[in-house]
Amino acid sequence: MFNVIKTFLKEGIKTEDISSYNEDNVVVYKKLPKILKCSLNIRHVDCGSCNACEYELTALSNIFYDMERFGIRFVASPKHADALTVTGPITRNMYKPLLDAIENVPNPKVIIAIGDCAMDGGIFKGAYGIVGGLKDINIEPHILIKGCPPPPKDIINGILKGFED
Amino acid sequence: MKHYIESLLHSDDYQFLGLFVSDKTKEQGVFILRYLFYDIKNKKLNAVEIKTEKEFPHINVPALDWYEREAYDMFGLIPTPISKLRPLMLFPENYPKDFHPLRKNANLNINYKGYQEYEYENFEPEGSFKILVGPIHAGIIEPGHFRFTLNGEPILKLEIRHFYKHKGIEKLAEGKPIEFGLRLSERISGDHSIAHSLAFVKAAETIYDIDIPPKAAYIRAILLELERLMCNINDFAFIFQDVGYSFGAEKVFAIKEMLMRLNEALTGNRFNRGIIKVGGISKEIDLNVVKDGIRLLKKEYLKYKKLFLNSSTILERTDTTGKVSYETAKKYAALGYIAKASGLYFDTRKMMENKLYGPLIKEFRLKNGDVTARLKVRFNDIEESFNIIEEFASNTPQGDIYKDYGKKEGYSFGFEEGQRGNITHMLEIENGLISRWKIRDPSFHNWPIIQEAVLGDIIADFPLINKSLNLSYAGNDL
Repeated sequence: MFNVIKTFLKEGIKTEDISSYNEDNVVVYKKLPKILKCSLNIRHVDCGSCNACEYELTALSNIFYDMERFGIRFVASPKHADALTVTGPITRNMYKPLLDAIENVPNPKVIIAIGDCAMDGGIFKGAYGIVGGLKDINIEPHILIKGCPPPPKDIINGILKGFED
Repeated sequence: MKHYIESLLHSDDYQFLGLFVSDKTKEQGVFILRYLFYDIKNKKLNAVEIKTEKEFPHINVPALDWYEREAYDMFGLIPTPISKLRPLMLFPENYPKDFHPLRKNANLNINYKGYQEYEYENFEPEGSFKILVGPIHAGIIEPGHFRFTLNGEPILKLEIRHFYKHKGIEKLAEGKPIEFGLRLSERISGDHSIAHSLAFVKAAETIYDIDIPPKAAYIRAILLELERLMCNINDFAFIFQDVGYSFGAEKVFAIKEMLMRLNEALTGNRFNRGIIKVGGISKEIDLNVVKDGIRLLKKEYLKYKKLFLNSSTILERTDTTGKVSYETAKKYAALGYIAKASGLYFDTRKMMENKLYGPLIKEFRLKNGDVTARLKVRFNDIEESFNIIEEFASNTPQGDIYKDYGKKEGYSFGFEEGQRGNITHMLEIENGLISRWKIRDPSFHNWPIIQEAVLGDIIADFPLINKSLNLSYAGNDL
């Protein structure tokens, strides 16, 4: 244990500056936009994704990305949330639970679609088991983060930039 | 026939790999059911075929329970004699009773509306109460429904209801070209992109009769081990987290992130998507980057393995928790680390591809079947993966990475050892297009085991047991 802590101290802080990723984008996002004051609570709903998006979402809280420094965190109940992230095409079996979750997020709520599938079904478009993406059930996501799956830096950038706009 | 299949299911020399149904009513007027076994002693496959128009023999073995319900849902075939047949993937809330999508003449443009309620098992002993969890869980995980019956803290019964993520991948691929199937196979279970696409590609290569160049086989093996390493390290980190040891968890999550960055440096994708193709691989990878990266990560990993095994407070939580006995594992035909931790052994790489791997894979099995045993199996897998990658990256033969092929027709199985266990795909190609594709993720065999693994444990240990089994919802629900 002592040796582990020693190397820990030697290595220093691993958390990376997210703005350093923005090569072609001039705007530097270092904190949450003022409109949110100081924090953003997110409830996540997986509606039928291939679980790669979930893999990247869990990576958000590791020491490289450390999403909580922006005040963004995932909460256990939609009633505690300001925003709802949706991944995957919406299956028939998940359609009702999703509507329930959306209904339980207090207003004003923000819907964030993560990944190509969440918008219009992506590669699964046309399968009998899905009702489609958020578009097809007449829910317009406020923020759309593209990618299959989007890398963690894109997710953080997307959320920060989305609120700026 | 029924007794023959039953005897194979109970035999220790045979590993049950799945029931694969295809609709041949147009050509032969029947449905073909293939019970696939692997003969461990003689090292060959044994597929038992049953042809039927409507009914097929019901075999009362837990391993076949989900398969028989699937055959009814998907094809309308009825196992006889059976008293009650509950729907599996097509929820009665959303699909009509006579809807069997995988039939060739199925009408998919129907009205998908509420029809009936799903019937749960009736189990209410005196003094017990129920806790219902899901389908949407508290953390960032996939949807599934769990019903616990408790008496105080110990769990008396757990009933699971899955298939919330049922999308209909198998039907979607019908009538589509192989390239589409390959893209789809990378998205069956996202964390197993390589393993699933390899199983698919191997089935196609057997039909087309292609021998891939040795260099491509080596690079495929390296990519497969990188994926196995990523998943195993991720599970290791989650077990640290679920016993409440966040220091260890964060450090091991960092190793996982470095592995994903290594993937990105090699192929441009964090999940190595888009590199596998029929006949070989699509581009070369830099083997020196692999060797350097792996050496660094191995050193890092060994530190936290030692930390875990030396901590009595952690082992207190994991020892004897979530026990899966040999009998349970056998009757559900368990695969992967769950089987290996309970005294069974089946490894596709060892059994079917011994030529490539040789002595790099040793037969490793434990008897305890608890969370610690499953983690120790994972440790062994991780160290094996490190060795295989180091060995293969230094000895990759020179030559082509792709071989051209001519199109053929027919059906074949494709096998690959994913991190969770054996993955089997059955592929039928007609006129250059996919006519039937059955995907079987190891989670389909292993999910029901969780119902027995939690019995007698307290509810607070459920997240730990769930993570130590770590099964895929997406690969299971399809």
